[in-house]
Amino acid sequence: MEPAERAQAARDRVPRIDPYGFERPEDFDYAAYEEFFSTYLVILTRRAIKWSKLLKGSSSVQKSMTVKRYIRKGVPFEHRARVWMGVSGAQAQMERNPGYYHQLLQGQRNDSLEEAIRTDMNRTFPDNVKFRKSADPCLQKTLYNVLLAYGHHNQGVGYCQGMNFIAGYLILITKNEEESFWLLDALIGKILPDYYSPEMLGLKTDQEVLGELVRTKLPAVAALMDGHGVLWTLVVSRWFICLFVDILPVETVLRIWDCLFNEGSKIIFRVALTLIKQHQAFILEATNVADICEKFKEITKGSFVTECHTFMQKIFSEPGSLSMTTITRLRESCRAKLLVQG
Amino acid sequence: MSRKKIPKSKGTSAPSASVLPAANGPRAGRPRTARPGSEAPHNGPPQPGRPSLGGGGDFYDVAFKVMLVGDSGVGKTCLLVRFKDGAFLAGTFISTVGIDFRNKVLDVDGMKVKLQIWDTAGQERFRSVTHAYYRDAHALLLLYDVTNKASFDNIQDWLTEIQEYAQNDVVLMLLGNKVDSAQERVVKREDGEKLAKEYGLPFMETSAKMGLNVDLAFTAIAKELKQRSMKSPNELHFQLHDYIKREGRRASCCTP
Repeated sequence: MEPAERAQAARDRVPRIDPYGFERPEDFDYAAYEEFFSTYLVILTRRAIKWSKLLKGSSSVQKSMTVKRYIRKGVPFEHRARVWMGVSGAQAQMERNPGYYHQLLQGQRNDSLEEAIRTDMNRTFPDNVKFRKSADPCLQKTLYNVLLAYGHHNQGVGYCQGMNFIAGYLILITKNEEESFWLLDALIGKILPDYYSPEMLGLKTDQEVLGELVRTKLPAVAALMDGHGVLWTLVVSRWFICLFVDILPVETVLRIWDCLFNEGSKIIFRVALTLIKQHQAFILEATNVADICEKFKEITKGSFVTECHTFMQKIFSEPGSLSMTTITRLRESCRAKLLVQG
Repeated sequence: MSRKKIPKSKGTSAPSASVLPAANGPRAGRPRTARPGSEAPHNGPPQPGRPSLGGGGDFYDVAFKVMLVGDSGVGKTCLLVRFKDGAFLAGTFISTVGIDFRNKVLDVDGMKVKLQIWDTAGQERFRSVTHAYYRDAHALLLLYDVTNKASFDNIQDWLTEIQEYAQNDVVLMLLGNKVDSAQERVVKREDGEKLAKEYGLPFMETSAKMGLNVDLAFTAIAKELKQRSMKSPNELHFQLHDYIKREGRRASCCTP
């Protein structure tokens, strides 16, 4: 078959809306996707059988070396919510606090919190059929509740833009409001540093930490950034705030989150470093600030990130060793520097 | 298994003559008053004419950096997309997180002026992430939403922020957006005018949805910046205030 015919055939076979409710973008490469997915489907099937055996007879998922190995190879869709709930500690928190979520929803009104959340309702996944006003059930209400409850629960954070996208994904996976709330709490309260608090110090710190890691591991890219005076904020703030939602393909984001819930925030650095390292030569072609920004957008597209299984293997090999000790040390020094700068 | 496939970058590969964002964060701010743009002295390094050919035939003679600021949800991204693509993003856009930019080349009196327009997250906590970029901006468009009183009340806060972090001679314009929503309007045109007068700012009401005064706002900015960079004594002095007063259209003539 001619490439054009093949593309059209793939277009006819691959649904316009993905399994999560997202409409595929205009420029979606159906042929490349179909080719990838036929291979990935085999892997998914094999993993699903293994996971079913692993989970048989156990009520909750506990962290272990086996579970870690399994998670790195991907959690099947049908087990994802349960695995995330288990390894993140969200399940335990939910069981320890029965009724708490519903109490939060009935808590004291907070107009500015409600307004801030409401402003983003129509601006969260307009490309997802389940979040449309016309959808039944419409997930906007669920999203509103989760974010409102979280704002009441963690008043130091309240609502920060970016949380809408994260909560949205949690809802799509768990299909359960209360579980989404506890997973959001696991992420914001435990797994991630203070990315979303009003000072956003954890975010600023981690952007600098990434800069330091790039300086060590990919000095040419660091030199390019320094040479043009580009702040890391400019190119990676969304990576951190949105945990790659709406930046990388959905399936890839979910695979990253599998590891994030189990292994913690250093996964974000692994992903960022892998993206940069893989496209180092491409990035180095940039000759000005606008170019650099554009390159950093481009490197989050294409088959390298769509082929999520290979991508996930790469994040554990490409960046080389990345110990939590190193991250912790860098976080301390970067944070101290930021505090001095004010 | 892994193949690198990078889609071609679109139209942004022309050498940007923009000033670089500061590597060392914002400079120490000092208090001052916002002044009308047209009386301000020449702004920081204007871009030398570097005619260039980038992706998509992106020729330009001079380039400037413009930033859109204002509360979350006032329509910054929609205003930008209306100007850039002539379209209205009805329910198809997402909240801007962090900072992003788009380029547009305008023909201003026979000269190609490239505007690099920076769109920012409006939520208050993001200001500490975005204000480092103010100092390199040649112009700032400060928006509020005429259907949202709080966004208007916050203009003073934004001006304080701008005074602290932007250049002294930044071109500043106040825009009251969403005038198409006549029914929901809570900020009167006169209120916007009064505030603008108080701070000596050029002011217009806009509608990204209808396209009202959107091109005008950017064109006025481009004309002002171009004139400042030319410093030609023979050229008739461009008056930003007069220009938008003359060219600006009232919401009433365009509401459906």
